[in-house]
Amino acid sequence: MKDPYETLGVAKTATADEIRSAYRKLAKKLHPDLNPGDKQAEERFKEVSVANDLLSDPEKRRRFDTGEIDASGAEKAPLNARYYRDYAAEGGHPYEGNSAYGDFAQGDDLFAELLRRSAEQARRRPGADLYYELPIDFLDAVNGATKTITLPQGGTLNVTIPPGVEDGQTLRLRGKGAPSPGEGPPGDALVQINVRPHRYFTREGADILLDLPISVKEAALGAEVRTPTTTGSVMLKIPKRSNTGDILRLRGKGVKTRGGAGDELVKLKVMMPTEAEPELDAFLADWKPAGTYDPRKEM
Amino acid sequence: MITEREFLQRARLDRRTLTVWIEEEWLIPNSTANELAFTDMDLARANLIHDLKEKMGVNDEGLGVVLHLLDQMHALRRALAAALESARDRPPSPGALTS
Repeated sequence: MKDPYETLGVAKTATADEIRSAYRKLAKKLHPDLNPGDKQAEERFKEVSVANDLLSDPEKRRRFDTGEIDASGAEKAPLNARYYRDYAAEGGHPYEGNSAYGDFAQGDDLFAELLRRSAEQARRRPGADLYYELPIDFLDAVNGATKTITLPQGGTLNVTIPPGVEDGQTLRLRGKGAPSPGEGPPGDALVQINVRPHRYFTREGADILLDLPISVKEAALGAEVRTPTTTGSVMLKIPKRSNTGDILRLRGKGVKTRGGAGDELVKLKVMMPTEAEPELDAFLADWKPAGTYDPRKEM
Repeated sequence: MITEREFLQRARLDRRTLTVWIEEEWLIPNSTANELAFTDMDLARANLIHDLKEKMGVNDEGLGVVLHLLDQMHALRRALAAALESARDRPPSPGALTS
């Protein structure tokens, strides 16, 4: 279950008005009746509604903020899933002190040695790993980038995103986690990458997919068409008599991988003119196909 | 790490009470340059303090003693566990632990 603040795209400190307006905006965009056939919109709409139910009710919102209920509004079964003893059982924290066994540890017998060893181990315990999420643009995921995260506890973290990173992948930044409670090394920062969708590119493994609209004339006679790739535009040769659904391959224009690069697969989409074209109409009315052209031959 | 604001909310504390608890060393948060940072352990400890005060009626004077003894007990338990584990790994040598 996602964080309801994230679902609505508002800050944890958002006012009731801000929450209402964020909800309305999303509801208008995602309402299933306004998006017939879009399964994803329906799911998102449900999420947004649940998040709004939770955050628009001051009492529920307070209980969520204090961790009494989870994002679906259900009670969190054990309020304190972990008791103090679960932490105290491990060493290396500020409460441990050493008064309890100071006199034992000074001796040179086996017990003293064990105590010293266990204290030493506790002191060298590494810091905790810290988890972050980083949303990045589609093209940054494909081409790589350097991003800076502003940490909630202050400070920043530079993240180098390798080219070809996938949605949901986690990057480990060694030593960028919490400091050790004792004298051990710091923990790691684990950054989960969330890739935002692109306006017209999608990705399948190492290949980039693109739907390219072309005119009837370009489809019939062939043409060279400016085509976007993730690294800039190229001229793509459309063969004569191309059809909607034909796929042209731009070799090496996909996602860079260790062994080379994927391809960009361009799927053609023939578009009729949107305005009246009397000449075309007149021509087609008189046109007698020379061959046995029947687009529904297979049906 | 938990920020002070989040900690106050999750531990159901006001700022004045928190200051007193820290002065009494009931809580020992990490302090970075300009603000306090708390761990999940601090949160569990705050909940323990709430339980001791509210559910068990331990008063403020007694609380410091209880926490101190609890921490000693945990340290001893850990030491004992380490000793037992190590004794299991070694061949028995009579008297090693009793001298």
